[in-house]
Amino acid sequence: MSQTKSRPAGRKVLLMATCLSDVFFADMAKATVEVLEAVGCEVIFPEAQTCCGQPAFNSGDFPAAEKIGRYTAEVFAGDLPVIVPSGSCAAMHFHGSQLLFEDKADTEEVESLAGRTWELFDFLVNGLGVKQWAGTLNKKIALHHSCHTRGSDTGAAMETLLSSIEGVELVEVGTPEQCCGFGGTFSVTFPHLSGEIGQVKLDSVLEQSPDLLVSADMSCLMHMGGLAEKQNKNIETRHAVQVLRDVGLKQR
Amino acid sequence: MSKSVQPIDVFARDLPRETRDAVLSSVMTRVAGRKAKLEEDYGDPDALRRLAGEVKQHTLEHLDEYLEQAEAALLKNGAKVHFASTAEDAREQVLAILNENGSKRVVKSKSMVTEEIHLNDYLEKNGVECVETDLGEFIIQIDEDTPSHIVQPIIHKNRRQVAESFEEHGLGEYNDDPQTITRRARKHLREKYLQSDAGMTGANFVSAESGRLVVVTNEGNARFGMAANGLHIALVGIEKVVPRDKDLGLFLNLLGRSATAQQLTVYTQFIKGPRSAEQPSGPEQMHVIFLDNGRSKVLASKERDILRCIRCGACLNVCPVYRQTSGHGYRAVYGGPVGAVLSPLLAGDDFPKYADLPKASSLCGACNEVCPVNIPIPELLLRLRSRANQEGIKSAGSPPMAPFAKLATSPKLWRTAMTASKAMNHLPITMMPVKPLQAWLKIRTLPKWSGGEFRRWMKERGRN
Amino acid sequence: MKNDEDTVKLAVKEALLGLGERAVLPEYDSALLLSARHKGSEQDGWTEFAENFSAVSGKPMQEVTDLVEFLKEGGFGKGYCDPELKQAVGEVLVEAGLQVSYEFDHQRVDDYVFGITKASGVIAESGTVILNDEDTVDRLAALAPWVHVAVLTDQKKVFANIPQAIENLGGSSNVIWVTGPSKTADIEGILIEGVHGPGVQICLRIGEGK
Repeated sequence: MSQTKSRPAGRKVLLMATCLSDVFFADMAKATVEVLEAVGCEVIFPEAQTCCGQPAFNSGDFPAAEKIGRYTAEVFAGDLPVIVPSGSCAAMHFHGSQLLFEDKADTEEVESLAGRTWELFDFLVNGLGVKQWAGTLNKKIALHHSCHTRGSDTGAAMETLLSSIEGVELVEVGTPEQCCGFGGTFSVTFPHLSGEIGQVKLDSVLEQSPDLLVSADMSCLMHMGGLAEKQNKNIETRHAVQVLRDVGLKQR
Repeated sequence: MSKSVQPIDVFARDLPRETRDAVLSSVMTRVAGRKAKLEEDYGDPDALRRLAGEVKQHTLEHLDEYLEQAEAALLKNGAKVHFASTAEDAREQVLAILNENGSKRVVKSKSMVTEEIHLNDYLEKNGVECVETDLGEFIIQIDEDTPSHIVQPIIHKNRRQVAESFEEHGLGEYNDDPQTITRRARKHLREKYLQSDAGMTGANFVSAESGRLVVVTNEGNARFGMAANGLHIALVGIEKVVPRDKDLGLFLNLLGRSATAQQLTVYTQFIKGPRSAEQPSGPEQMHVIFLDNGRSKVLASKERDILRCIRCGACLNVCPVYRQTSGHGYRAVYGGPVGAVLSPLLAGDDFPKYADLPKASSLCGACNEVCPVNIPIPELLLRLRSRANQEGIKSAGSPPMAPFAKLATSPKLWRTAMTASKAMNHLPITMMPVKPLQAWLKIRTLPKWSGGEFRRWMKERGRN
Repeated sequence: MKNDEDTVKLAVKEALLGLGERAVLPEYDSALLLSARHKGSEQDGWTEFAENFSAVSGKPMQEVTDLVEFLKEGGFGKGYCDPELKQAVGEVLVEAGLQVSYEFDHQRVDDYVFGITKASGVIAESGTVILNDEDTVDRLAALAPWVHVAVLTDQKKVFANIPQAIENLGGSSNVIWVTGPSKTADIEGILIEGVHGPGVQICLRIGEGK
């Protein structure tokens, strides 16, 4: 999942809010806009955006995924950086599309999108050089590294910013390799497996008794949080960008 | 209990908790051991994994040349070389070699490829006793079971089950102390070695340069199987070839650490050919059978990278799905991530029978992260999903994506759907037929619907 | 017997026909493979071997008297010794009251509690004993007894690391590297030593220049 280091990193950016934000996580998307603005970005939200196409891609319906992929590349055409508050959707742009379009002609636009896509935290830390977040939060945070950020710079970037917040205690979660069990349609097609996989992860998280469970992907948090809630185990889940927003937006 | 239609999901649901826990605790130990060993020994283990992957990929893409080289080297060393297209051909060739030598008692060291061709049953039917000598495989054999892990075949059993089975097969009174069990097996199998008239092995690697077969075991059983008789037969998948002796060092260093957290497996044998005139002991005959059995078809496919696999089992240990199912959930000789790719491919025309396996993954990528030859397993799973889709193989529970694609490429429709509750039926997570969604909600809650809210907020900010 | 040589080779050739550019063989320096723990020339090879061999439950020794003591203490009273090691090892054992046979009888392998054979070398980096068939008087003698003693007499055969040992595999048609006693973790992952082969693996270094 390595990306070229020559991605554009200006302060005028396109935001891909993700379809989950459209449906469930409006607050996370708002936090993304506010945090980006707090570090001096001008955030443009292309209204025509929908989804990165990963659900179709992961289902093996490549023609459907290709259609969505091309559409998205068109919506985000140009030369501005594209910021995605999800490791998973970002990986679809720069990694998934490589496979999806490997034998295809006219891939200029999708390649351009792949070369301009940043996961939000990677962008903040490695694109803009923001390494500190001013504010205080006296909480113990368990960081969940989502699977689609494996091998990327997102995890380290998130750790850099969160640990710079005064009062934050980052705790290591056991079984770091274990997936949360969500996997999109996987969780519906394989409901038992998905639930048990999530349980293993959730147990590792609960073992640390954190105040907050934080990740760069809302989908993992939705799954683990959903499992926990059903079992009446209270665990507050936050996207890392919500944590930044909540501790303060006066960063400059 | 949740309603499931997918066979592997049903298997996991019905697997006894005791078995699941045995698997889970064993793999967790292995994962920790592997990680510690690699990190202790190498600053950048990933660089080695990538290198090994490149060497193996190169070999595969020049397999025509390397197979010829390996064959020539082996012949020069005095070994006999055979080729088998199918499992049936391989079984017949083994039997023919045994018959030519009047061999009736074979001791066999652990080999996945002999599992693949179901050799034991066939030999048994033809009047040849074939005894598994690896402790785990021996237990599998007396239990008439099948291995559930590439490296630890009885990962699904606990000591009590083994003790019961030993008692049942006349190997002493019930005793579940692993040491006692091991000593009893030692005594029993020692007789088998000494009475044997042939030894069978697989091979972990074959150097094309020298013809050296490398066979590794921790127990010493492969060595014993070649110490007490005069005939050695090695059944080897054609993908086991590596270019040079030098490369053996690369792969051995990765195999031991990845499989069992050892720098080297205890007994690492380099076998070039039959015993020479100067050698006081060892088999006078060495036969190598190179087996295709569907591999050349895999080589022709875009999923050929899976043939890099060196059978270390590391991907099984980290796989969240394997951890819930053991290898038996995969209904084939190879389980776990590697099996989910390899089994449908090796099945040939029976691909549809196993087309559900590549779907049984959250595509988490833990497998690729530990693979000593850096196989992009998630990518291969996706390719196979796409193939199943193209071939129109219906697999229950997989929603059709064309309606979603239509929605996701029509911004107006999309926005309407976001704000309208009917979107519940069309969005990826919730677009499932109602029943599976109910199963989903049985053990999880869903967050509150906030469709359209963010877009409204953005618009309002624009106005201010 | 049916031999599918042509069928298999043709199938492999055809499988590769559609490939465009084929992956090249990466050149690499075998130094890449060396463990970070490997001391290389900083330390005497035998010392490093002894440390690593001990770490895998092997027993390094440098005096025949140590071997005598070990065998006596363990109650390993009788065994086999390669006749070529009779003078250097066998007779010392006999003198100390141990029973030593110089012939290995396949009919009664279980009567030998120890087996003493020659080592063809050792690998410092991994704590490995090298046995090749030219030097091993009988494979069973080095495998069936509970205690195996591999005797290293040629000090030049201390190889620093795995790549070096591979370069020096030589012409033997059978070489085996032994990195500790025989072991298994098949049952519940619990480590048990002495499965089929030796439960005790000794490497004894004797002779000039040690």
